[in-house]
Amino acid sequence: MLLQQLVNGVTLGAVYTLLALSFSIVMGILGILNLAIAELFMIGGYLGFAVITAHLSLPVAVAAGMAGAAAISAVIEKIGYEPLRDAPLVTPMLSTLGFSIILQNIATNMWGSDPLQLPDEFLGGRIALGPVSIGELQLIVIGVTIVLVAVMAYIVQRTSMGRALRAVAENRDVARLLGVSGSRITLTAFMMSGALAGAAGVLIAIHYAAITPYVGVEIGLKAIAVMVIGGTSRIWGALLAGPLIGIAEVLTVAYGGSQIRDFVVYGFMIAILLFRPQGLLGGSGADQGQRV
Amino acid sequence: MLAIRGLGVQYGAVTAVREIDLDIREGEIVALLGANGAGKTTIARAIAGLLPFRGEISFRDQVLKPNSAEHNLRAGISLVPEGRGILARMTVEENLLMGIYCRTDRRAATADVGQMFERFPILKERRSRLASLLSGGEQQLLAIARACLSKPRLLLLDEPSLGLAPKMTDYVFSMIGNLRSEGLTIMLVEQKARQTLKFADRAYVLETGRMVISGTASELAGNAAVSEAFLGGGTKPPHHAN
Repeated sequence: MLLQQLVNGVTLGAVYTLLALSFSIVMGILGILNLAIAELFMIGGYLGFAVITAHLSLPVAVAAGMAGAAAISAVIEKIGYEPLRDAPLVTPMLSTLGFSIILQNIATNMWGSDPLQLPDEFLGGRIALGPVSIGELQLIVIGVTIVLVAVMAYIVQRTSMGRALRAVAENRDVARLLGVSGSRITLTAFMMSGALAGAAGVLIAIHYAAITPYVGVEIGLKAIAVMVIGGTSRIWGALLAGPLIGIAEVLTVAYGGSQIRDFVVYGFMIAILLFRPQGLLGGSGADQGQRV
Repeated sequence: MLAIRGLGVQYGAVTAVREIDLDIREGEIVALLGANGAGKTTIARAIAGLLPFRGEISFRDQVLKPNSAEHNLRAGISLVPEGRGILARMTVEENLLMGIYCRTDRRAATADVGQMFERFPILKERRSRLASLLSGGEQQLLAIARACLSKPRLLLLDEPSLGLAPKMTDYVFSMIGNLRSEGLTIMLVEQKARQTLKFADRAYVLETGRMVISGTASELAGNAAVSEAFLGGGTKPPHHAN
C-alpha cells in the first residue's frame, strides 16, 4: 500500500517538478512570477489531447504541447513583459495574470467548461511489480519528465545559451559586459519556460486521462508552492521539492483524507517561507535573481 | 582611440559627473584618479555602455550610444568592474567561457581559453572550482583573463587592486604592464595614485564629478598639489589646473 502510494506520489511529483521548473526559469532570471504559466500548462494539455485523440504518437503530442505553449509564451513576453520591463515588479506580474485569464477564457470558448475525457483505448495497461501496480501512462509521465529534465539540465549547465541564462540570473550588469543581450535571454527564458509548462500539461492530461480549462489554476498553484519549497533562486530545487510534495499529497489523501490535502501542501509552503525563505536548496537570501 | 566630450551622468536628481573631456590614445595606459565618490567608476561604466549619459563618447571614430554594453563590447571595449564582477555560482572555466560568449570565431575562441589556462596555471589548477571559492587575487586574475578573452582593444580596469594584499597588488600591476606591452590600450581607475602613476602614461584627476587636473604621469607625480591631495602628501585638494 505504502509503496503503491509512493509510486503514485512520484508520478504526480514529476508533473509538479516540470511545472515548477517552468516557473523557476522566469523567476530565477527575471525575478517575476509569470502567472500565465499555469494556463500555458492547460493549453499544452489540450493540444496534447488533440494530438493523441487524432491517433498520433505521444512524442508528437508532447512536442505539440511544448511548441504551442512556447509560441504563446513568446507572445506574452513581447506584449506582456517587454514593454513593462522597467515598471515596478508587480506590473508585469499583473500583466501575466491578465494573460492567464484570457487564455482560460479562450480555452473555455474553444473546448467548453466540461472535462474532456481520454477514451479508454488510449489509457494503456498496468504492469504488476510485486505488490505495486504501475500504469503504462505513469511510466511514460515519469520517463518523459526524466528526459526533459536531463535535456533542460544539459542546456542550462553545458551550453553557451545556458551559461548566458545563468549569468543574467546571477548578475545582469556583468552579463551585459560579457555581451549577453538581455532581451534575447528574456525571450529565451519565456520560451523554455512555456515549453516545459506545455509538456507538463500533456503529461497531466494523460495522467488524469481528462482535462478542463481550470486544471491550470489548481496544479499551477501547487507548482508555485513546489518552487517556493525548492528555493526560488535555485531552479534545481524543484527536483527535490516536486517529488516531495507529490508524495506528501498522495500520502495525505491515502492516510488522512483528501479534505486536508491542500492544508499539508500549502502549510509546508508557509512554513518554508517563515523558517527557510531561501527554500530547501536555496543559498543565502542575498543571491536572488535580478530582473532583465 | 577614445574621445569623450562633455560627458555628464545623473543618478536620478544627483549629478555624478559633469562636463568631462577625456582622450585615450592607442597603446596608452591612462589612469583615472580621485577619491571615493569622485565619479571614476561612473565614467568607466558610461564608456562600457552600462549607463545613460549626456555628451559624446566616440571610440575608433564610432559614436557610442548610451546604455549599449553589448554593442560596446563588440566594438572592442571591455570593462573589469569594481568588485571584479566574477560570476560566483559558475566555475572558473565557465567564467572564462563567458568571456568568449560574444565571439563568433568559436574554434579560435575556445583555443584562446586553453591558452589563458596555460598563461595562468593557477586558473588551470582551479578550473572546476566555483569562482566564489577563489582568493581575492585569483578572482581579479580571473576577471582580467575573462575580459581579455573578448579580444578588446580598450580594457577598462576599475580598482583592480581593491582589497588585495600588497604582493598580489604588485602582481596585478605587473600583469597590466604585460598587457600593455602586448598592444592593449588600458584605462585604469585607481585610488592608489602613487603606484598607478609609476607605470601609467597619463592621468586624469577627478574631484566630486569634475575633472580637476590632467597631464603625463610624471607631471602629475611631480605636482605638489596632486601630491598633497592624492599621494599622501597632505589633505588639501589640488588647485584646478591643466
